[in-house]
Amino acid sequence: MKESRLMLIQYATAVAAVALVSVHLIMQGVIYPYATAISFNNILSVYKNGFYAIFLEALLVVVLVHGFNGVRIILQEIRQTKPWSQMVDAGTVVAIIVTVAYGTRTVILAVFGAVSPA
Amino acid sequence: MAVGEQKAKNRRGIRAWLNPYHYNAERWAYFFQRVTGVAILAYVLGHLGDTSFFVGGPTGAGPSESAWKFIGSIFENSFGHLILILVVLVLFFHGVNGVRLVLAEFGLILQKPSAIEYPYKPRSLGHGQRALIYVGIAIAVAAAVWAFLVLFEGMG
Repeated sequence: MKESRLMLIQYATAVAAVALVSVHLIMQGVIYPYATAISFNNILSVYKNGFYAIFLEALLVVVLVHGFNGVRIILQEIRQTKPWSQMVDAGTVVAIIVTVAYGTRTVILAVFGAVSPA
Repeated sequence: MAVGEQKAKNRRGIRAWLNPYHYNAERWAYFFQRVTGVAILAYVLGHLGDTSFFVGGPTGAGPSESAWKFIGSIFENSFGHLILILVVLVLFFHGVNGVRLVLAEFGLILQKPSAIEYPYKPRSLGHGQRALIYVGIAIAVAAAVWAFLVLFEGMG
């Protein structure tokens, strides 16, 4: 993909992340007191709400794409040889896939998994 | 500056942005944008790990209250809350400064460029975009104070 397009993705995910992270933080310390927000039953009810589960998945993808693409941009500035550039690009794609998969697993299990007793 | 010296200066790579000394506010903002970005990504990866304990951790199969209590016993303390306050501080700076960068990238907060004259200050960098740097710092500090009140004083 062209570098200019990757930068556009960086800016688009930045704007999306500002909106999504703001809502996430408001959920943690404004709408609910922090102790309530991180209680097991509250989080379970949040995940069981389909809208918020999709919201968390979107947050996960946007933040990880923005974060790893940002690291990619920094690493591309270290040197400009083709092997290095290709290695950094490939590493970024792998890192995004692995971390999004792990985070998605949490969301899916939280939504559909059977609840274990305390 | 000799040609060789200039070439060496242009090839400093990561060391160049790690040393913003002698540069202007925009260069310091650039430095902090990158440092805070890497720090936030490190936090996000840790957060991915700790939130996975809601479903029992890497080997879990569904929501587990005991695993969630276990991970809470490690991170829900004064040290963990201090880390969260620092995360809020850098997150808000990164966010507001990032919006400034997006606006600047699309030319929305830049002045008309003009001839370079002594004392060689970049005239296209208007007061508005520089003010946004300080607004970002102010919002970050205010958000960190809010986080302190939420985490240590039970507000929210």
